[in-house]
Amino acid sequence: MSSQSDGGGSDTPEDVDLAEGIDHQVAMVMDLNKCIGCQTCTIACKTNWTEGGGRDYMYWNNVETRPGSGYPKDWEEMGGGWTDDGSERQPGQLPDKEEYGRAWEFNHEEIFYEGSDEPLRPMDGAEWGPNWDEDQGAGEYPNSYYFYLPRICNHCTHPSCVEACPRSALYKREEDGIVLVDQDRCRGYRYCVEGCPYKKVYYNSVTKNSEKCIFCYPRIEGEGPEGEVRAPSCAEDCPPQLRLVGFLDDEDGPIYKLVKEHEVAVRLHPEYRTEPNVYYIPPFAPPQHSERGESLDSERIPRNYLEELFGPEVNEALNTIERERDKVERGEESEVMDLLTTENPAKQYRLEVFDEE
Amino acid sequence: MTMKHKELTLAAALAVALVATTVAVPGLVDARPAYAVPVHEGGEDASFASPGSEDWDAAPAATLHLASAESGLPNASSTSVEQVDLQAVTTDDRLYLKLSWADATRDTSTADVRQFADAVAVQFPVNESARPPIAMGGASNRVNVWFWRADGTDQELLAGGPGTTTPLDSTLGNASRYENGTWEVVLSRDRSAGGANRTEIPEAQDLDVAVAVWNGSNGERSGVKAASSWHYLALGGGPQGPPYELLLWAVAGAAIVVTTLVTVEGVRRTRGET
Ligand code: SF4
Ligand code: SF4
Repeated sequence: MSSQSDGGGSDTPEDVDLAEGIDHQVAMVMDLNKCIGCQTCTIACKTNWTEGGGRDYMYWNNVETRPGSGYPKDWEEMGGGWTDDGSERQPGQLPDKEEYGRAWEFNHEEIFYEGSDEPLRPMDGAEWGPNWDEDQGAGEYPNSYYFYLPRICNHCTHPSCVEACPRSALYKREEDGIVLVDQDRCRGYRYCVEGCPYKKVYYNSVTKNSEKCIFCYPRIEGEGPEGEVRAPSCAEDCPPQLRLVGFLDDEDGPIYKLVKEHEVAVRLHPEYRTEPNVYYIPPFAPPQHSERGESLDSERIPRNYLEELFGPEVNEALNTIERERDKVERGEESEVMDLLTTENPAKQYRLEVFDEE
Repeated sequence: MTMKHKELTLAAALAVALVATTVAVPGLVDARPAYAVPVHEGGEDASFASPGSEDWDAAPAATLHLASAESGLPNASSTSVEQVDLQAVTTDDRLYLKLSWADATRDTSTADVRQFADAVAVQFPVNESARPPIAMGGASNRVNVWFWRADGTDQELLAGGPGTTTPLDSTLGNASRYENGTWEVVLSRDRSAGGANRTEIPEAQDLDVAVAVWNGSNGERSGVKAASSWHYLALGGGPQGPPYELLLWAVAGAAIVVTTLVTVEGVRRTRGET
């Protein structure tokens, strides 16, 4: 590993800002055009990290329908993050357990062992849960629309969760910028839960500590299956393989190219000023249709909604992607489209580039 | 002679009135906290492990006033508990502290994201030779903290400044009850430190002590707490408890009487009455 601690090695690309004291920054690009909302990522994460022990309600990876309330419900209205100039933290709220959604009890016993004719269903009033508003979306027939938004901790460059902790129990790992909660230092005060505007730190009432996505660091360290370096489970298990994983400061990697070089991958809620390191290829949808089914020259997903989510940068990103698509249609080369359609795992996941340091 | 007699009677009456007011004043305006916490010597047959034990009646209480501790945390200045009564009892081998404070909400659970439990903590210097900074001590002058939380857990902590608490293996005893809107918590420990980084409870020397209280349902945790300033357990056999405060005022009262008499006498002399 590099001995430098002034924010990146000497070969850090000029247009990449690493957090102070961080050698490299892991990052992920998710192509929202490919997500089918199957929740395989959610379950892959859950079976790895959050089964039982006070973690039932936690989804370090969740996939929510947009437009929609998300998980926890209306998390975008719960504060946290930074003021506009990024200098001061904004107050945040703790979500209620109903806003996450409880783990429901089902009538399995009655149906499978006691011969009940009841339909299989939760036994107590199930009124909310993750992705409860699945596929509801917005808009009127024939121009309704929705898309899926997979979310993990963004392993931010300017993380307000880290800053919120009075005990410095949260920290960014020097080698790759992964944000972790030191379980020995944590005393369950939950200022990080309040402080993260993405609500990606969770309180475990059994261990009395806070917990969060660890970017599957044992896997990227080669402790995964067969002792190989593997990308996080949510990425590798995704059926349409819509996630690219690597380092933001790896100039030859897909993340740098999509985020910095072509500027087609954008941040979710950049106005929170935490500088997320998960980036999204914004969703395209067919144009609006008339009552008679004719295509109209009008976008189905309102541009202002996408701007609300991804900031004004989404416009240039969409324009660029459109140009690149046209190129491919004309039979020309497009690096952007190559990166977004590759089926070569070595190109999707570049995690060993800095191993020699 | 009659004149002089009258004057003396007047002066005496005035003096008595002054003494009475000066003695009553502290009760009315509570002008100065007494930093001494009296220590009661528990007899062999007495029992102090439980807050309900009648033996506690023999131990005088000191009232410690609390204020929101300074911290950069959200809502740090909106703590709700204003005072705590502290009783201290020593036996040959143990120190018992009983803390009583009013809190209208009994918060014992931390089972939900939004739930915080009521708590209390007592802080001592690890090394009694110098008084550590009040906010969790300092790097070179650390504190021991006896921490109790209303879910029934206790912890012994070592700290050298805010955000640095580290648990030691707890050797505390704890017991509590909540009645009529009041928490009563007993914390006790062997007087001998039994290891490094633990405060030795001295035989004949005062010991600095400070207290903090958290009201869970008010979102109080961490540095959001109502805390006292440094007091001391009067283990050194100095003045004891409330009489200490009264004694000070009585001395002040007597001084005022003397001053009054001298003034009266002075006035009389100036008028040439002698
Ligand atoms: S997404 Fe939230 S929890 Fe993750 S690093 Fe950013 S501020 Fe912290
Ligand atoms: S596994 Fe992939 S396609 Fe399925 S929900 Fe997750 S991100 Fe979307």
